[in-house]
Amino acid sequence: MKRVLWPACWMVLFTAVRAAQVEPGLPVWGEGERKQLESEGWVAGALLLTDEPVAEVPEKEPETPLDVAQPTAEEIAETEAPSSDIPEKFLPAYFGERPAGFLADPQGLLGQVEAKNRLNFLNYHAGDSSIDLFVYLFKGDQSIPGEVREEELVERFYSEGRPAVVVFYYMGAPQKSVMYLSPSLTDVVSSAEQKRALESSVMQAFKDVDPAGQLESFLIQMSIRIYWMERMMGGGEVPVDEALLTVRPPKPQKTKPSVLTRMQPLLEPAKPFVAPVAAGIGLMAAALVSLSIMRRRARYRFPDFEVEPRLGGSHAAGIGAVISFASASVPPASQRDQVPDYLRRA
Amino acid sequence: MKCPRCVQRIHRAAAQCPHCGFSIADADERFGGEELRLRCLTDSAGILRRGDRERVEAAMERVGKQFPQVFVAVYTGSLGEVANMRQFGFWLLNRSAFEDVPVEKPNEAGILLTIDPESKAAGMVFGYLLDPFLEESDTFECLSRAHAYWLEERYADGIIKALAHLEGILRKRSRHARKDPEHFQRKVMPAAMMGDLVRRIRSGHRGASAGEIENAEVSP
Repeated sequence: MKRVLWPACWMVLFTAVRAAQVEPGLPVWGEGERKQLESEGWVAGALLLTDEPVAEVPEKEPETPLDVAQPTAEEIAETEAPSSDIPEKFLPAYFGERPAGFLADPQGLLGQVEAKNRLNFLNYHAGDSSIDLFVYLFKGDQSIPGEVREEELVERFYSEGRPAVVVFYYMGAPQKSVMYLSPSLTDVVSSAEQKRALESSVMQAFKDVDPAGQLESFLIQMSIRIYWMERMMGGGEVPVDEALLTVRPPKPQKTKPSVLTRMQPLLEPAKPFVAPVAAGIGLMAAALVSLSIMRRRARYRFPDFEVEPRLGGSHAAGIGAVISFASASVPPASQRDQVPDYLRRA
Repeated sequence: MKCPRCVQRIHRAAAQCPHCGFSIADADERFGGEELRLRCLTDSAGILRRGDRERVEAAMERVGKQFPQVFVAVYTGSLGEVANMRQFGFWLLNRSAFEDVPVEKPNEAGILLTIDPESKAAGMVFGYLLDPFLEESDTFECLSRAHAYWLEERYADGIIKALAHLEGILRKRSRHARKDPEHFQRKVMPAAMMGDLVRRIRSGHRGASAGEIENAEVSP
C-alpha cells in the first residue's frame, strides 16, 4: 500500500510545484469588452491598453541652413552692447541751457501724464520751499558724456536766482542718481548731509518697482530732505536718518528714571540713619581687620608640664597617627582606627 | 599613649611596652643608635621642587612664629615597610639633632611629619611638650587634610594643608590650656601624684563629713 501511496504523493507535489512555477498570462481584451467600455465613456489608460501597434516616430530630416548672410563679429558686438550715450540731438537741451521747467526730460522718458504729474509736484515744491528742485532725467543705462562737467554746469546755470538742488536721475536705476547744490547752498549744507539726502531718496525710490513710481518716491523724499536743508539755512538742525548711516550715532539717552531715582522716596526716610549705619559698618570692618591682624600676630604658649619619659625616649613618645595614601579607594575615614602592626601584617 | 609597634595603650611612665616589650632600644637596633644631624626640612625622597620647598618652609616657619615653643620638622624618605612608619618617627624625633632649630627649642617641642612616597604612607609624631595637648586623633585629622593632595602626589600642598590644620588645633588647645591648665596637667600627672590627689580628695570628703557631724552635734 505504501509503495503505491508514496509515488502518488510525490507526483501530486511535483505537479503543484510545476504549476506554481508557470507564470499566469497577461490579460487580453475580450471580444466586445473594449467596445462596451468605450461606449460607456472615457477608458482609463486607454492609450496604454491599446492593442494597436505604436506608430514609429518618423526621423527628422536634417535642417538645411537658410541662405542668409551671417552677422559679422563687429555687428554682434554692436548689438550686444547697446550704446549708453545720450543721443547727440538731446545734448543741447540737457546741457546747453538752464531748463525752462523743473523737469528736464528732452528724451521723453516719462509719459505725458507722468511728466505732468512730476512737474506739478516740482512746481508745488518750488512754491512751498525756498530751494528749487531741478531734475534731469536719463535712461538707466545712459551716462553723461565725459566732456560735460556737472559741477561746472550747475555753477554756470544755477548761480543766480533761488538756491537750487539739481538731481541727475536715471530712470530705473535711482542708485546712479547724482545730486548737486547751487553755489549758495554748498557752503551751508555739508557734503555728509547731501549724501544722506541722496541716499535716503534712493532708498525710498527702491520701495517702488516701476521706474515712474521710483521717480515719484525719490522726488517726495528729496523734497522732504530739502525742507531740512532750508531749516539748516535758517540755523536749525537737520535730523539724522539713522537707517541710512553706516555708523549709527549713539541712541539718545532715555529719560527713564534710574533705580536710585525710583527708590528715592524709600531712601528719603532712611537718610538720617545713613551716617550712623555707615560709621557702624566701618567700625565693624575695622574691628574685623584689626582682629585678623591681632590673630596673625598673636603668640600662643603652652604650659610646660613635667612629663615622665616613656619607652626610653628622651624627647618624644607621643605617637601620632599614620595614614596611607596608596589608593583613593581607602579614604582616611576607613583608616581612623589605627590597627596594630602585627594585625596589619597578617 | 600608644606603643609605636603594637599600637596598644601603654602606661604613662612605661619604660617598655607591657604588650610587646618595645622600647627605644628596639628602634635603635632597627634604625641605628647614633645621633643624626638633620635640617628641619629634609627631603631625602626628592619629592619637593624648589618652589615647593619655599612654600613648605614658609608654612613651617609660620607655625614656629605662632607657637614660639614649638617647631615643625618634615622628613621625606623611603622607609620600606609601612608598618615601620610609627617606629621610625618615634626613633627620628628622639635621635635627631635639627641643625636649623634654635637651641632653646629642644626636640621635646618638635612635631615631626614623615612621608614615605614609596610605600605611600605618612605619619606624625610630637615631643613631650605637646603630649598633654595633642591626641592621636588630632594628628590623624591633620594627615586626613593632606590625603587628597598626596594621592595626586602634590606633596607640598598636602604638607601645607596639614600644617594649617595643625595650627588651628594648637591655637585652640593653647587657649584652652590658658583657661584650664589643670585639665591638661591631669593627663600627664605622674601616678604617684595622682595617688596623692586621690588621697587628698578622699580625706577632704572625710573631713567634710566629720565637720558636718560635729555641726549636727552642736546644733540644738
